[in-house]
Amino acid sequence: MGTAIRTEGLTKVYGRKGRGIKDVDLEVNEGEVFGFLGPNGAGKTTTIRTLLGFMRPTGGRAEVFGLDIQRESVEVRARVGNLPGEFALEDKTTGEGLLRFFARMRGVGDLGYARELAGRFGADLHRPMRRLSRGNKQKIGLIQALFHRPPLLILDEPTGGLDPLVQEEFLDVVEETKAEGRTVFFSSHVLSEVERVCDRVGIIREGELVDVEPTHRLVDKAFRHVTLTFDEPVGGEPFAALPGVEGLKADGPKLSFTLHSEPDALVKLAARHRLVGLEYERPSLEEIFLTYYGKNGGER
Amino acid sequence: MSVAGLRRKGGRGRHAARRAAPLGTLPALVLRTVRLQSRGVLIWGTALGLYSAAIVASYTTFSASAEQMNRLLEAYPQGMLEAFGITDLGDVENYMNSQVFLLAPLALAFFPILAAAGTIAGAEERGTMDVLLGNPIPRWQLVVGSFASIALSLLGILALMGALTQATAILMDVDLPLGSTIAAVLNVWPLCLLFGGVAMLCSAVFHRRALAIAIPASLLFAMYLLNTLGRISEDLENLQPVSAFYYHGSAIEDGIDWTNFWGLALVALALMLLAVLAFRRRDIYT
Repeated sequence: MGTAIRTEGLTKVYGRKGRGIKDVDLEVNEGEVFGFLGPNGAGKTTTIRTLLGFMRPTGGRAEVFGLDIQRESVEVRARVGNLPGEFALEDKTTGEGLLRFFARMRGVGDLGYARELAGRFGADLHRPMRRLSRGNKQKIGLIQALFHRPPLLILDEPTGGLDPLVQEEFLDVVEETKAEGRTVFFSSHVLSEVERVCDRVGIIREGELVDVEPTHRLVDKAFRHVTLTFDEPVGGEPFAALPGVEGLKADGPKLSFTLHSEPDALVKLAARHRLVGLEYERPSLEEIFLTYYGKNGGER
Repeated sequence: MSVAGLRRKGGRGRHAARRAAPLGTLPALVLRTVRLQSRGVLIWGTALGLYSAAIVASYTTFSASAEQMNRLLEAYPQGMLEAFGITDLGDVENYMNSQVFLLAPLALAFFPILAAAGTIAGAEERGTMDVLLGNPIPRWQLVVGSFASIALSLLGILALMGALTQATAILMDVDLPLGSTIAAVLNVWPLCLLFGGVAMLCSAVFHRRALAIAIPASLLFAMYLLNTLGRISEDLENLQPVSAFYYHGSAIEDGIDWTNFWGLALVALALMLLAVLAFRRRDIYT
């Protein structure tokens, strides 16, 4: 298996506050789906825009399929389908017009796959962009990134603004892309979609890549928000004493807390009472970042 | 396949990325930009053409009393008349030059200024740049392609303006030679393009569309004023060559001065090349 993206000490510092990324060493293999995760402002978009040649690195280097991102930026972009995190499309243009233009730019003669994707996402290719909602523009953005079947997809928050059904369809497309041996590099804020499609994840915090690990490890170590509702008030102390239980709050028959370990002991203890309600929620990615990669350093 | 193999073959099996030939993307870029500008061409061309046509039409009522008007104008200071290009109002070509073609660049230059400012800084502000440059387009092609399309659109506006002027002259039986009309409108082209070049450079250097409009627009008025005042004031006469308007002349009366024509066009081209250099080196912001 080859390497789709390789960065060595990639650094981009800009602005008066010195924002950007510092010494990012990253390797994404061909054929994998790589989730690039981090809180807002962590450096995800800066990394992506530097890889695509929109920003010049201030240090280090990077290659996409062995092509230098600075010297061979056009060659890199010929192999990449890109969906920017924040983008707009020319108001007067229709999706069809835009795709025809991009097809000419890329030497693609057939828009068959673009039309297939439009059908699957429910995108209207015949209305001008100014008449499309944010979600529908996002669909056109996705199609323009996907329609030429690039060996590498770089997608910055691709499901933002999409309704759940289209999100599902998009994740199917990502899985198909992977099945074809192509590579996907995408940033996301949604743990469930990361868990579903990503083989590995990279965590970036304050411009530094702090961890790269298989997705299941990130998901496994994530805590859960638990709320137990009993038919009458029960003492909270036995629950607070369980391993991994933190921040327990008792409100009448309701107990709320965070669980950092497996739920076996909790379930057995709860089963001693009459349980009328159980909520067992995953945290958001932001909460995971704060907990495991928070400012106070390192992994939990 | 190894990365090295990928590089050699330019793709990977059935998922090979089709790399468009860099030069093949330039005509597509020009064609698309011209298409996007077509509405503006129609509006600008019709507006200026109708104004010019109205001046031609007014000449028919005016020409009968031209002798009296000329005598009246003798009372005005000679320098002032020269400043506004008025020598003989009985001559349709001089009349058209003073009423239309001396002022036309002042208005029409805003077309290339606005278009060029929108090409880079405007696209960054609108957020369209990342999607466009996500394609395998070299940055120089974006600048050159946009500038070429602005130059073509400008020709379209002038052609429309010339056609409406000439059609009115024929309809109103005004003796305005076709060659003079063509020379008059064509002569406006390099002057306006030059200010488009300034706007393109500002668009490439700065990240703000407002600056890319304000700087060339200020330069446009400053140069117009300098050239006009230079005709009146001996103190400013020496500074006239600094103004691009100094090289504009009256093509409707004297024909096109091709040295000045190509000189202005070359300056515009040089400004575009500077814009290419500036844009190649800088970050793109959204």
